Amino acid sequence: MQLPEFEYLRPKSLAEGLQALAEHGDKVAIMSGGSDLLINMKFRLDTPEYLLSLNGVLELQQVEELADGGLRIGAGCKLNDLAQNPLISERYPALHDAVWSVGSRHVRNVGTLGGNICLDTRCWYTNQSETWRETRSGCFKTDNELCHVIKTATKCHALSSTDGGPMLMALDASVVLASADAERTVPMREFYNDDGMHHTVLKPGEVLIAVLLKPPAGRAVFAKLSQREGLDFAAGAFAAAVTGSNDKPESVSLVMGSIAPEPRVMEKSQQILMESGFTDEAIEQAAAAARSALSEVTNLFTPSGYKRRLIRALVKDALVNLRDQQERG
Amino acid sequence: MAKQLITLTVNGDAYEVAVASNQTLLEVLRDTINMTGTKRGCTAGSCGVCTVNGETGEAILSCLALAVEWDGRSLTTVEGVEEGNQLHPVQQAFLEYGAVQCGFCTPGLIMSAKALLDVNTSPSEVDINEAMAGAICRCTGHIKVKKAIREAAKVLREREGGLNETNSGEASHGTS
Repeated sequence: MQLPEFEYLRPKSLAEGLQALAEHGDKVAIMSGGSDLLINMKFRLDTPEYLLSLNGVLELQQVEELADGGLRIGAGCKLNDLAQNPLISERYPALHDAVWSVGSRHVRNVGTLGGNICLDTRCWYTNQSETWRETRSGCFKTDNELCHVIKTATKCHALSSTDGGPMLMALDASVVLASADAERTVPMREFYNDDGMHHTVLKPGEVLIAVLLKPPAGRAVFAKLSQREGLDFAAGAFAAAVTGSNDKPESVSLVMGSIAPEPRVMEKSQQILMESGFTDEAIEQAAAAARSALSEVTNLFTPSGYKRRLIRALVKDALVNLRDQQERG
Repeated sequence: MAKQLITLTVNGDAYEVAVASNQTLLEVLRDTINMTGTKRGCTAGSCGVCTVNGETGEAILSCLALAVEWDGRSLTTVEGVEEGNQLHPVQQAFLEYGAVQCGFCTPGLIMSAKALLDVNTSPSEVDINEAMAGAICRCTGHIKVKKAIREAAKVLREREGGLNETNSGEASHGTS
């Protein structure tokens, strides 16, 4: 497969990049690593007039320690570099695990954290070659008003497959979004929309430039199940963070990935653990509640019944893991 | 579409080539420079047969790299792995262990393995699995491939004078 034609833009500074974005509006696709965007372009899911490469913008490739003890990670940092950075692996080991679980080493050598967070939603119908798609009529994501996955759907149900997103939500991180004339900070928990077409709050002309991590507090865990251990999107991903003790948690944050157009906070499961602590029974109930909180989950090759059972097992194992982290001290 | 002149250093030789913005590194290597050792497989980042090594020896999928992004940079392809007229220990071990069936994925496997062994000559089982997960052989299993990589690692360790003997099995990350 070959790439469609486009005009290549390579700004040397963020300011220059934001200016180009403002100028060309929604005719631009923003590329950092390109490991997902270029495939979508080969599939003709994305045929931008301009391709704006952020790889020359060095200011997006820094990891800085913040005065409050947190971290600011530039959106252009490569996933492998982050996984090998002791500031991440020692202070935020669960984030290390999430980043490390993405794709293969080949993909992580070019893929960036910003790219992973903004990763486009995916669907077993749409994410195929153009020829394959032409055997059926289009869908919400291409050029039609229907969904081949859920026949009664009134919107796109493509899945969010980011591994970094759920983890950063569980850690209550924020992202910095910049445009030519403004900059705003948005909590990760408010960054995604439950809509396969417009799955983030990014506006045209805006780009995610950094992730802000709070100082490390408590314990966290990341778990992912996929068909193969490497080079696969998650069939289900789960991120959890807890402060306080197992008996009396002060906060519990549980987020599921790869089950909906956005990573989803598991409110009911959180509440169960907040009220009862991490007892065997409460963990069992929280896993059952996570299972029942899923809506349509038939997308991406896994039947919904299978995915519900998978989620329950994944959540239970990860919560037991999280509990035992305290005992290991 | 207007082409742009870029300088690309492949296996130590500098090439000045005119490339269109939508050409991938793989297309330029194979179709412009005529170095066809790097294979064209899925062209969508799933198979790893197009793997080359970047400036720091890292494994790069040339099908997902824009040639224009590589202006002024250098890379190594399977044609540049040989040391003089001697096969590189990775190549030699692939031969000896029969880690080849149809041979199509072999350049990608060699370059993925070399990217690992360049930075770690005492890889654990986990390290090998992790480094090779992005390069797939569809003829056979990866058992002989892994045996060959372990053998190549041994040769490279001996060459280093056994300095790393004590590290065996360390420096592994989980593949959760």
